[in-house]
Amino acid sequence: MRSGSPVYRRGAALALLVVVLIALPSVVPAFFINFVMTQTLMLGLAAATIVFLAKYGGMVSLAQFLLFGVAGFMYGNAALEAGSRGLNLGWHPWAAVAFALAVTTAAAFLLGALASRTTGLYYLMLTLVYAVIGYFVFAQITEISGPSGITSIKRPELLAAPVSLYYTALGLSVLAYLGFRALGRTAFGLALQGMRDDPVRMASLGFNVPLHRTLAFTLGGFVAGLGGLVNVWWNGQIDPASIGIGPTLILLIIAVIGGVSYFEGAWLGAFVYVAMSTYLRDLPLIDRIGITEARFNTVIGAIVLLIMVLSPQGLAGIADRLRRRPTRPRRPAAGSADETEAAIRRAQLIDE
Amino acid sequence: MRRPDRPRRAAALLAAAALALAGCSDGGDSSGLPADEGAGTAIGGDGVRLGILGECEGPFGGFHEDAVGGTVLAMVNHAGAEAASPTSAVDGFTGAEAAGTPIELVGVGCGDDTADRILQEVRRLVEQLGANVIIGPLSGDEGIAVAEYAKEHPDLTVLSGISGSQEQTLQVQAPNYFRFFGDGAMWNAGLGDILHNQEGWDSVAVIADDYSFGHTSAAGFIAEFCGVGGQVDARIFPPLGTTDYSSYIAQLPGPDEVDGYFWAVGGTGTQAALEAFVNAKGDLTGDQHAGNLFFNPDLAQALGTDIAGAYVGGFATLPGDVTTPAIDEYLASADAAWESLPGGVSGNEPAPPSTAAAFGFFYGYYSAGVALIRGLEVVDGDVSDPSALHEALSGLTVDLPYGSVSLDENRSGVVDVGLSQLVLGDDGAVVQEAVAVIPQVDQSFGGAFGPDTPSPSREFPSCEERDVPWEGDAIPVVDGVPQR
Repeated sequence: MRSGSPVYRRGAALALLVVVLIALPSVVPAFFINFVMTQTLMLGLAAATIVFLAKYGGMVSLAQFLLFGVAGFMYGNAALEAGSRGLNLGWHPWAAVAFALAVTTAAAFLLGALASRTTGLYYLMLTLVYAVIGYFVFAQITEISGPSGITSIKRPELLAAPVSLYYTALGLSVLAYLGFRALGRTAFGLALQGMRDDPVRMASLGFNVPLHRTLAFTLGGFVAGLGGLVNVWWNGQIDPASIGIGPTLILLIIAVIGGVSYFEGAWLGAFVYVAMSTYLRDLPLIDRIGITEARFNTVIGAIVLLIMVLSPQGLAGIADRLRRRPTRPRRPAAGSADETEAAIRRAQLIDE
Repeated sequence: MRRPDRPRRAAALLAAAALALAGCSDGGDSSGLPADEGAGTAIGGDGVRLGILGECEGPFGGFHEDAVGGTVLAMVNHAGAEAASPTSAVDGFTGAEAAGTPIELVGVGCGDDTADRILQEVRRLVEQLGANVIIGPLSGDEGIAVAEYAKEHPDLTVLSGISGSQEQTLQVQAPNYFRFFGDGAMWNAGLGDILHNQEGWDSVAVIADDYSFGHTSAAGFIAEFCGVGGQVDARIFPPLGTTDYSSYIAQLPGPDEVDGYFWAVGGTGTQAALEAFVNAKGDLTGDQHAGNLFFNPDLAQALGTDIAGAYVGGFATLPGDVTTPAIDEYLASADAAWESLPGGVSGNEPAPPSTAAAFGFFYGYYSAGVALIRGLEVVDGDVSDPSALHEALSGLTVDLPYGSVSLDENRSGVVDVGLSQLVLGDDGAVVQEAVAVIPQVDQSFGGAFGPDTPSPSREFPSCEERDVPWEGDAIPVVDGVPQR
C-alpha cells in the first residue's frame, strides 16, 4: 500500500528520470546534450520560477527573464578582464558568480518589494514594465553593456568541458525542483499559499503579506539568476536583445505549455519549445505545407492556443489527469471508508 | 505527523540520485563522453559541407533570399553549380565543385538580427548538420557572435556574409573568420574628405541611430571628417524605432550655426527625422545635408526636390549607375541563374534577379562564396587541413565585379567604396548618381580604430585631426565610369 502511494511513486519516477538524464550523455549525440538538453534545463530552471510564484503566490511574473539576464550581464561585467564594452573588472570567475547572484538577488528584492502590494493583472503589468525597463537599462547604459552587449564571456575552468554545463544545469534543476516542492510544505510556503487564496484574511491573522511576496520574488530571482549564469556560460555572450520582450514572453509561453501550476511542467514546456525550434524544420515534407523555420513562431502560437483550449493546466496537467484516472475507485464506497479516503486524498494533495 | 516515513523514503531515493549526479559532474573532467567532443564537426573528410547563415526574421527578414542567393550565384558562376529552383534561392544549389572538391549545402540558418539566435543557428549547422564551412551572417552584432564562435572552433572556416560591425575582425581576430567586404564605418569613407575639402564644410552636426550600426556608421564619418580638419559640433543619437524626432531635432544647432548635417538614421526613421527637421529648422537644402547609405531618391517624394545635392555614403556595391563590363556580366549572370527572385529590394515580390544582385546584401554573400572557391583552388581542393585553407584565404586577392578585394592582417576586406549624390535628373526627378570611388579603404582610418580602441559609441571616436590614408585619392566618376 505504502510503496504504491503517489508520493513514493513520484519520488521513484523522479529518481529514475534523474538517473536516465545522468546516463544520457553516454548514449545520445553530443548535439542533443550540449544544445537541446542544456538549453531545456536552463530555460526550465527559469520557467520554474514563474511556476513557483504563480503556484504558491498567485503572482504571474514577466520579470523572471530580466533577472535571468541580470545575472548574465553581471557575470560578464565582473569576469571579463578586457574588452570593448562593460566594466571589465577581471575578477576570479567564482567571485564573479557570487557578485552576479548577489546583484540579481538584491535587484529581485527591490523589484519584488515595489510590486508586493499589487496582484493579478496589475502584477503582470508591473513586471512587464520591469522587463521593458531592464532592456533599456542595458541597451542605454554603455558602461555595463550598451546595445551590442557583452561578448567573449568565458566560463570557469571547472566547467570547461561542454558536458559539464549540462550536468550543472541538471544539478541546479533537480535542486530547484526539490527545493520549491519542499518549500510548499514549510510555514513560509503555506503562508504564501494562504496569501494567494485570501490575502486579507492572512493579513488580519497577523501575516505580513507584502514581505512574504517580496521574499518569494527574491527567491525566484535568485533561482532565475542561477539559470542566467548557465545561459551566459553556454552562450558566451549576452546583449539587451537577449532579455527583450520576445524572450520574456517565450519564458511565459514555456511555463504555459508545460502547465503553470506544475513544477515539472516548466522543464517539460522548455523541452517542447527547444525541441520544436530545433527539429520541427527537419521533419520530412514539413516545408511543403509552408512550415519553414520562419514560421516557427506561428507553430508555437498554435500549440499554445491548442493547449489553452484543451488543457489550461498545460502538458503536465494532461499527464496528471491521465495518471490519476486509473487510480479512481470504481467500487461504491461505504460512508466511513469514503471519508477516510477523502481525508487521505486531501493530505496527498498537500504533499504534492 | 502524517506518514513521516514517506517523504523520507522519497528523499533517500533522490539523495542516491544526487550522489550519482555529484559523482558524474565532479571536476568537469568528463572525458570519454560523446558530448565532450565539443563541436563534433565533420572537419576533414572529402568535401566542403557548407552552411549559410541567412536572415529570415527580424528587421532584415526580407533579405533571406538575397543572402542565400548571393552564395548560390557564386557557386553557379564559379563552381559549376545549378540553382535548385528557378524562382527561389533558398532551395540552394546542386552540383557545385571547386578544384575537384564537391561543395554540398547542408543547411540554411535563419537569423533574426540577434546574437543569441544566430549562435543557435550556427551551432545547429555545425554541431548537428556537420557543416565545416559557414557563409554568413548578415547583421553587425551577429557577426561579433559568430566570430567568437569561430574562435572557439578553430577547425571551422567562416566567411562573413555582409555583417558590418568593426569588432568581428578588428577586435575578435579569429584566425578562421574572413570578411571580403568593408564595415559600416568604411562605407562612409571619402564623405568627410569631399565635404570638408571640396564643399567647404568646417563644422557638422551628426544624427545617428542609437545602436551599434548607427554608432559605427557615424564613427566612420566622424573619424574622417575630423581627421581632415573638420569639427563635429553636436552628436545626437535618437533611439532606434523613434517615430517623433522633434525633441532630438531641437537639440541640433541651427542651419546658420553649422555648415552641414550628417544623417545615419535608417528604416522609416530617415524620412521621419528629416521631416521633423523641416518642421523645426526650416527647409532642407541639399548642399547642407549628407547621409549614409540610408539616404535615397525616394526621400524626395515626401521632402521635395530641395534635397538634391546631398552626398550619400556607400555600401558593399558601387552606386547603380556605375557600369563596367565586369558589373554587366555579373548582373547578367544573375538573370541567367534564375527566372526571378523575391528579394528584399523588390519587397519580396518576384523580380529580375539582377535587382537583388546589385544590392549589397546579395553581393556580400556572393563575395564570400567566390572567395571560398578561390581559396579551395589555392589548396587544390584539399580541406583535410583547415589551417592550410585559412592561410590560403588570408592571402587571397579576389577579383570581384565591383572591384578587387584583399584582406588586412585581421582578415577584413580592403575595398573600394563608392560615393554618390542625389541630383536632379533630366525629367526633374531626384536620382542618385555616383560621384567618386575611394580606392583601398581599410578598417583603421589611419589609426582612429585599432584592436585596442573602444567600440564605436556615442562618444567614440573623439574629434581629432590625423592623416587619413585616402585623403585626396578619390577617383571621380563621370557618367557612371570611374576615371581611374
